[in-house]
Amino acid sequence: MFAPIGSTEATMTIYLDGRAIPARAGETIAACLLRAGVGHFRTTPVSGARRLPYCMIGHCFDCLIEIDGVGSRQACLSEVEDGMRLHTQDGPAAIAGMEFQ
Amino acid sequence: MSSAIELASAGCRVIVLDMQPLPGGQIFRSLEANMQARPRTDALLSALGPAYRAGLALIERFRAAPGIDFRPGTTVWDLRADGTVGWLRGNAAGYLRAPHVVLASGAMERPTPFPGWTLPGVMTAGAVQTLMKAGRLKPEGRIVLAGTGPLIFLLADQLRRLGVKPALIARTDRLGDKLAALKRVRPAGIPALAKGVGWLARLRLAGIPMRTGISGLQALGGEHLESVRLLAGGKNMDIPCDLLVVHDGIVPSTDLAHAAGLALEWKRDDASWRPRTARDGRARMAPCPSFTTGPCRIRITGDARRIGGADAAAAHGRHAARAILADLGRIARKQGGPDRTEAEVRRTLAARPFLDAAFPPGLAARLPDDATIVCRCEEITAGSLRVAIRNGAADMNLIRGLLRCGMGPCQGRSCATTLARLLAEAEPGRPMPPSPFRARPPLRPLPLGALAGMTGLDPALAQVESLDDKPEEIAGDDVHA
Ligand code: FES
Repeated sequence: MFAPIGSTEATMTIYLDGRAIPARAGETIAACLLRAGVGHFRTTPVSGARRLPYCMIGHCFDCLIEIDGVGSRQACLSEVEDGMRLHTQDGPAAIAGMEFQ
Repeated sequence: MSSAIELASAGCRVIVLDMQPLPGGQIFRSLEANMQARPRTDALLSALGPAYRAGLALIERFRAAPGIDFRPGTTVWDLRADGTVGWLRGNAAGYLRAPHVVLASGAMERPTPFPGWTLPGVMTAGAVQTLMKAGRLKPEGRIVLAGTGPLIFLLADQLRRLGVKPALIARTDRLGDKLAALKRVRPAGIPALAKGVGWLARLRLAGIPMRTGISGLQALGGEHLESVRLLAGGKNMDIPCDLLVVHDGIVPSTDLAHAAGLALEWKRDDASWRPRTARDGRARMAPCPSFTTGPCRIRITGDARRIGGADAAAAHGRHAARAILADLGRIARKQGGPDRTEAEVRRTLAARPFLDAAFPPGLAARLPDDATIVCRCEEITAGSLRVAIRNGAADMNLIRGLLRCGMGPCQGRSCATTLARLLAEAEPGRPMPPSPFRARPPLRPLPLGALAGMTGLDPALAQVESLDDKPEEIAGDDVHA
């Protein structure tokens, strides 16, 4: 859906569900994952529908994802960091050691 | 930025809390970084055009102004009328209190519920612009732009320069809107109109198909967007599509103003709330219980107050700063007619009456069908809201409690206006709700760790360090001007 304008100059690597994705310093996680063609960042807690970022400015909260073990973080507001581990979020955020319905 | 520069150059100490890593707001987003990365970003910068690059002068003045304490990457999650601001930066959180607060939280795109608007592959025009500016990305594949407003044309023109050709621009506005709007053209607004005509001419030349007066937009697909259906010229059109970009104009972002207990007013023709403010931006308290007493120390400026775009925001920011300086006795309060900054505000807003009439809300003009999702977070449809309303639920907060509409992570940002209009639909004559859902801090996610470790990082400024609902009045908190 999205392609880089010019070269990406990726100097970092982030991991989504274990898959390595090249990242550029200063970009948001949302931009990085969209460039990599990721099809959804999370599923909704109610119907399990897939979601991708909608507003990119922090209003809609559809870009929620698990970042380094912390769930429900806004990917459109968070910058990439080298070695960051992301997980597609299924339904509500998990709290370490606990599962919600 | 313009407010901070004006205040700092008069000798005030100014703290600027900005959610973004770099100054520039959404309009000049990532401008510094994109300039520094040249020549790699040359294609991007030329696509974004001179109006984007023009922001650099303002950013440079902002960076150079002594007395501005710029705190990027800082989220504001609480605001109170007495000038108390709850902030979060990384994993640190705290409270500040200042004798004057300027709220410049900008605008958001009008929420536009239509069938399929939650599918992956549907995005707002602002989102695509942000991905261009901050992500250095351009959309590819089959793209449809739908909706109304100048941003659609600006975006289409920028895409054209990047060699991206949308399959269709589907506009809800009609020629008749333009003709009726011509009555409202003021001489000072003509340059803005000329710009719009230029965009249109270039899009025509590039052979990008465009339809006006479209309605009945639907995004279709299973797990992601596959096609778009709409009604144009009385006929159904189905267009296979990878990315549907929607835009229905922008409205003031009122979340912080509302949470601070400031008065909002419903703009009927624009189907949106905006804060009640004096000309210099001074906000008024809403007539309802609030966390604080005493004089309201907040001024609201820019698009968060009135939609006007970048130039108008900068002009009003300066005007609001002058009003603060007059309050502080640092400049003489002007007598009689409008001063220089006020005249500038008028000039920069000159094109607005035309634009508002030429691009009335389109995608959101009609309320959604029963099957359409209104609350994106909790996936509540217009139908179930209508049932609750028919059964007697006549209050936004009650409906939130009953159905969870507005209770998800976005805290009602996407659904509040639609629910308010559904209530009005059920009982015509009834006054519009005076405000969105009741708001409580934290307005944005605040990690528990940050909450637990909350301290004042600025001993001089953070007099309020407790979690009490109602910070105590602290004598002598007016020392920081
Ligand atoms: S995409 Fe809307 S909040 Fe992140």
